[in-house]
Amino acid sequence: MSEAQSAQCAADEERQGEQGVYRGTKEVKTIVKLKGVSKVYWRGKEKVEVLHDLDLAVPEGAFEALMGPSGSGKTTLLNLIAGLDVPSSGSVRVADAQLETMGEAGRTKWRAENIGFVFQTYNLLPVLTAQQNVELPLLLANLSSSERKRRAQTALKIVGLEDRVRHRPGELSGGQQQRVTIARAIVNDPKIIVADEPTGDLDRHNADEILNLLDKLNREFEKTILMVTHDPAAAERASHRRHLDKGKLQ
Amino acid sequence: MVPLSYNVRSLFVRRATTLATMAGIALVVFVLASALMLTNGIKKTLDSTGSPDRAFVLRMGSDAELSSNIEAPSAKLAMDAPGVKKSAQGPMAVAELIVVAALDKTGTRGQVSNVQIRGVSDDVFAFRPEVRIIDGRPARPGTDEVIVGQRIRGRFDGVELGASFELKKNRPVTVVGVFEAGGSAFESEIWADVDTLRTSFGRENLFSSVTVQLESATSFDAFKAQVESDKRLGLDVVRESVYYEKQSGGTATFIMVTGIIISVFFAIGAMIGAMITMYGAVSQRRREIGTLRALGFSRLSILLSFLFESLVLAVLGGAIGVAAALPMGMVELSMMNFMTWSEMVFTFDPTSSVIVTALIFGSVMGIIGGFFPALRAAMTSPIEAMRD
Repeated sequence: MSEAQSAQCAADEERQGEQGVYRGTKEVKTIVKLKGVSKVYWRGKEKVEVLHDLDLAVPEGAFEALMGPSGSGKTTLLNLIAGLDVPSSGSVRVADAQLETMGEAGRTKWRAENIGFVFQTYNLLPVLTAQQNVELPLLLANLSSSERKRRAQTALKIVGLEDRVRHRPGELSGGQQQRVTIARAIVNDPKIIVADEPTGDLDRHNADEILNLLDKLNREFEKTILMVTHDPAAAERASHRRHLDKGKLQ
Repeated sequence: MVPLSYNVRSLFVRRATTLATMAGIALVVFVLASALMLTNGIKKTLDSTGSPDRAFVLRMGSDAELSSNIEAPSAKLAMDAPGVKKSAQGPMAVAELIVVAALDKTGTRGQVSNVQIRGVSDDVFAFRPEVRIIDGRPARPGTDEVIVGQRIRGRFDGVELGASFELKKNRPVTVVGVFEAGGSAFESEIWADVDTLRTSFGRENLFSSVTVQLESATSFDAFKAQVESDKRLGLDVVRESVYYEKQSGGTATFIMVTGIIISVFFAIGAMIGAMITMYGAVSQRRREIGTLRALGFSRLSILLSFLFESLVLAVLGGAIGVAAALPMGMVELSMMNFMTWSEMVFTFDPTSSVIVTALIFGSVMGIIGGFFPALRAAMTSPIEAMRD
């Protein structure tokens, strides 16, 4: 490769990193871009470096699986991308927001508009019905009660639970509860869905149904999905897999 | 905002702790509401005794009838002073004598208490139209007959229609009537013939007070100036309504201050109870709080949500406390009036202001007790909460 060609390649990579990647003939924007990210915790006087000088670019509309052994920093990385935490150093740009420069209140508001969460243990509010749980993110938007109700019912229909709107979490199976969580994650039409071990508490059959649903959200609704998983079968369903070990992407 | 139904249902889910905390708050509000109702009752009783268009005359320097002695000629001069309303029979005025008798309380083993006995003239019913016989008949002048106020009836041995008791040793009198006086302090008195009383207690030629009916409320200043300017008389003049207001002041203030002090001490306990309950709720629902924070609910909305929950707890407890206190309105309480050193019967008077004050007090307890747990909830880190 000539010096000129190398320079052109470097320039292309740089451009790709800033603006997006090409998928076929269509330019795809980079929705998540981490550069030189480190995250350090202090356990008493002991310094624990969870993430070390990490770079990551995720194109919009991707379905990426993040794998790695326990303690490798997967959830920490997901928390940084979701705006729940800030890096000790480096930059985190997600959905056009420079998260490390935003205050706690700013990130809270940003999360409400841009991130949908799917948790391993569902984290539904047990005293509210499925519909009320799904409506929660909409309470932060300026919507009428009837509009909130309509959107929540639509989200529950997408996940196949239109006949369970009045059920409380305790009256639903694990798979159904996770589907309510997914409905809650998509109801405010966020750009990104972060899923932390979404099938971790489910049997194979229910896990497959949840993965089918995530796949549907990615393909039909063009949601960017970042999924942390230990399950190789679940990771296989993602369009791209990344491995994290000792705070570094392999 | 976090939906309010979340908080209300969460209280219902933790029924046992919710009920225990509500009971604590209810007790405090009950004590406070009762104390305020009794304070109101005392004021109402004593304030309703006086009328602004009557002037009340006492010996100079005396602050109560019991410590006042007015000689008969001085009383006569006061009655004849300008500004006093006249009828065909003469000036509309009464000179009365007050003594205190120690009587046995009904149903107790020798427990005695002071009762105020008022020596009245036979024209007292004309002078005080608010007083009327409701059982029996008026006492005949110059006899050993007495009438008793309806609130004191039956509370002391012999103080019952047809019964008799000793005014003083070897001086029995018979109860021939029971009267009402519009809920005023007179209803806690025994009325005897003024001459019988003077003779019995060796107070010939003396009265305790003179009460005159003024031509109008505006005649007071002229009457007061005339009576007080005559140094030979040595008398003080006040409006009757003002006198009884002062009479109620000390006792009412004592009850109110005692009630508030007890309530405040109880309230500290109840607030700690509410605080423990809310800390428990926050600790139990850490993951839920973390989830709400992750979904985008601000710290302020979490704080307000848990404060609201605490407030609901307190308002419900307060409502129970007020509801429990309202039947106290049917209770009559016999206690010492510190101005007359005699037993008086008061009622608990529930008013809308008492109810509102007690509910506000309960609500403030909820807000103070719930604030620190709510603050802890608001400061919960979503990452740490969801890691638990």
